[in-house]
Amino acid sequence: MNVSRFGVKLEDETLIRKVRRIPTQGEVFVTVGDAVDAETVIASSTVRNPEAEEVKVFTKLGVEPDQTERYMLKKEGDQVAKDEVIAISRAFFGRFTKTCRSPIDGFIEVFAKSAGRVIVRGNPIPVEVKAHIPGKIAEVIPEEGAVVETRGALVNGVFGVGGEARGELAFAVDQPGEALTTEVMGAGHKGKILVGGSVVTLEALRKAAEMDLNGIVTGGVDQRDLTDFLGHEIGLGLTGEEKVGLTLIITEGFGVHPMRDETFRLLKSHEGEPASIDGTTQIRQRILRPEIVIPLQG
Amino acid sequence: MGSEKESYLIVDINSHQTKAVFIERTGDGYGVEGTSETPTTVDPPELDVTIGVEKAVRGLGQKLGRELWVSGKPSGAHRLLCSSSTSGGIYMNVAGLIRNISTESAQRAALGAGALLQDVFSYNDPQPRFRMIERMRSLRPEIFLLAGGTDGGAEAQVLNMAGLIEEADVKPRFGDGYKLPVVYAGNVDIREEVSKVLTEDRYATRAVDNVRPLIETENLGPAREGIYDSYMEHVIVHSPGYDKLVEWVEGKIIPTQAAIGKILYAYAQERGVNLLAVDVGGATTDVYSVYDGVFNRSLNADIGLTYGISNIMKEAGIENIMRWMPGDISERKVRNIVGNIMALQPESLSDEERMVQQSAVREAIRLGLEQHKNYATRLKGVRLLRDLGMMFEQALEPSILNLMKTQVVIGRGSIFNDPENLKIASLLLLDALQPWGLTEIYVDISSIMPHTGMLLDSNREAALQILSKACLRKLGTCVAVKGKAEEGVEALTVSMSTSGGVSVEETVAYGELKTLPLGAGESAKIVVNPTKRFDVGVGRGRSLDAKVTGGEHGVIIDARGRPFGTPIKKEALSVWAESLKPRPVAPATKT
Repeated sequence: MNVSRFGVKLEDETLIRKVRRIPTQGEVFVTVGDAVDAETVIASSTVRNPEAEEVKVFTKLGVEPDQTERYMLKKEGDQVAKDEVIAISRAFFGRFTKTCRSPIDGFIEVFAKSAGRVIVRGNPIPVEVKAHIPGKIAEVIPEEGAVVETRGALVNGVFGVGGEARGELAFAVDQPGEALTTEVMGAGHKGKILVGGSVVTLEALRKAAEMDLNGIVTGGVDQRDLTDFLGHEIGLGLTGEEKVGLTLIITEGFGVHPMRDETFRLLKSHEGEPASIDGTTQIRQRILRPEIVIPLQG
Repeated sequence: MGSEKESYLIVDINSHQTKAVFIERTGDGYGVEGTSETPTTVDPPELDVTIGVEKAVRGLGQKLGRELWVSGKPSGAHRLLCSSSTSGGIYMNVAGLIRNISTESAQRAALGAGALLQDVFSYNDPQPRFRMIERMRSLRPEIFLLAGGTDGGAEAQVLNMAGLIEEADVKPRFGDGYKLPVVYAGNVDIREEVSKVLTEDRYATRAVDNVRPLIETENLGPAREGIYDSYMEHVIVHSPGYDKLVEWVEGKIIPTQAAIGKILYAYAQERGVNLLAVDVGGATTDVYSVYDGVFNRSLNADIGLTYGISNIMKEAGIENIMRWMPGDISERKVRNIVGNIMALQPESLSDEERMVQQSAVREAIRLGLEQHKNYATRLKGVRLLRDLGMMFEQALEPSILNLMKTQVVIGRGSIFNDPENLKIASLLLLDALQPWGLTEIYVDISSIMPHTGMLLDSNREAALQILSKACLRKLGTCVAVKGKAEEGVEALTVSMSTSGGVSVEETVAYGELKTLPLGAGESAKIVVNPTKRFDVGVGRGRSLDAKVTGGEHGVIIDARGRPFGTPIKKEALSVWAESLKPRPVAPATKT
């Protein structure tokens, strides 16, 4: 296979600019020139909860839709808990009671008076974005985030899964052609970004997730093993949202592929240093490859 | 100047390539004088589509020794036409009243105009209104097509659907500050009321003739034209550089898929044939059909041979990819090859990788065809007058696709341009589509089908000439039988007599694929005599007498039955591929 390696970079030292923004408008906590570390929160807000339930209040109470309003205990905007009564009807001095309860935790988003229906929506979901890489704020994006700038090494993989992760670079193998297996993994690797050689096995992936390793960088992975690890087939080259307990970046391709010497050497020269990785991959238009950033020390 | 204008400079811009073609009258016909292509420049760093257009046109000018680019724009001496598809199609949402009636017609109109359908909404949709609103809000289409009601028919329900769009406050894909283009193709009596709901300050509404003026009538042309107009006026101008390009071109810039659809429809009409064409790209698979004069297009987004190849494996299942692989190859290896084609976007492939891609293309086409059957349907909601005889006819099937009455099959996409794949392109199409009876097989060899589609309105004769001469390559004519028997049992005998007086006779067993040599441009008379268990399209055991034309693979006799699965013995896959290779003319006698 003659590959294009389009969008794949290998830089010893370069200026790295990361745009850090929340997916909505919110509060930005930094200003231009601020020094930030990887864990600094840049901006935060809340987003609308996609979980919503429509409740036919009138059928629960057994009344005409346009009569529902008089039985409502909650109004638009009120907080409700799951199973909390939101409307009640009483007859014969309270001897016959019918109630309508909220199906979820959230708030009353809409009460349609004439239709006798309510939409209960889950509470807003908090979102925040961290700097991910240590550096300086080069630009502020009002109400959304900022651009963080730093100098460091940058290595792109060809494919990855899992989102952003950070940790100290550690090596499990001495040569780029060696496989990353459970035998070369130890308790000392917990919380680190572990660099392997030609391939990572399924057992090693599972062990890494169990022992809270933050990430793995390796030359290849067997496509079948990755499918089994993820628990589903990889359809499109659009990743980053997987919740599998760690981030995996492959630098060469699927199967057994010794990591290129120059990549291995560059990563090895930063052994023990903090790295920020992101497995997010987007192959198609506006290609996005997974990346390993190692900020310059000092 | 007048004679100069008999020449055409036609540019097609897709997400990767910008291809310019120069067409001119030569002698008593039209011919392609040259082509040139460069990478498309609509994305960063260039962010100006005209940079790629300039490079392609200048390159073409250099090849031809002509000045095609003068003072920063096309010279103007030739008619400039353009099609474009930089994002796989027009992102569209469709809404109607009844899912199977007006919505389905609107869906067909949108797909025919080159849409990439994001979602479809109906008044009789079982999901609650607020869910539809949420979904609409999340999609950001480029154009919304609203249909519903026959002329003089339903009003309140159509206005309700317009109200739904309004309530959802659907924002256009190209930016919040712009108006959302809406094409209204429903009940003509309530156009004004619709425009009062979808107000001018937020919507650029264009009313066109109803897609379903009567329950028994479908009228898709005006809706397609309306989509082209909205695309030209409100969508394309927001892409970088298109404002300049629009000034240079003659007429509308239409989506590439629409240009392909137009030429395929014209070709089928011109020849009076039913046609089925598949276009397998890196990320999408399009299927086009023309049956009894009715055109349909469907799009399987995210099913393709590079970016979309992993999705083929996901949708079809690894076992369906594996079934087309001759020889011993492990599932793990196939999976890794598929993953690498997707992730690495290779520029060339090894033999093994090519075999995986060939297996995947069969499944991509099969999936595309399955989906196409759901779009290419007879009109629903129409009362059918059926007599006893009709009860058994396939015409009453919901789909109008009839593989027994498919006279022409066309393969399109880079896989069919690769010389190695071309050797077995007939087999790929036969395996995936499984036509039966008599079918001519073609591939688009030059990738200029969209260009011929653009030329169609200006010069139909030239467009069809170029399509036949420079675009379509005939691979052969296939005669396929339906039926089942034990492997090796005689299925048919065939005799062929060429106009040059050469006769060939063959006996073909069930499960076999054989070819009779007949070159491109040659014709012959064939008589096919199936045994009593087999049907060549005229009834079990009845013989077929027909005139056929040749191609690179000659006349292909396909006695694998219909439908056929993959053989138990894997060697048969190699034997089938071998049988398409050119061979010396079989024992021949002068008549």
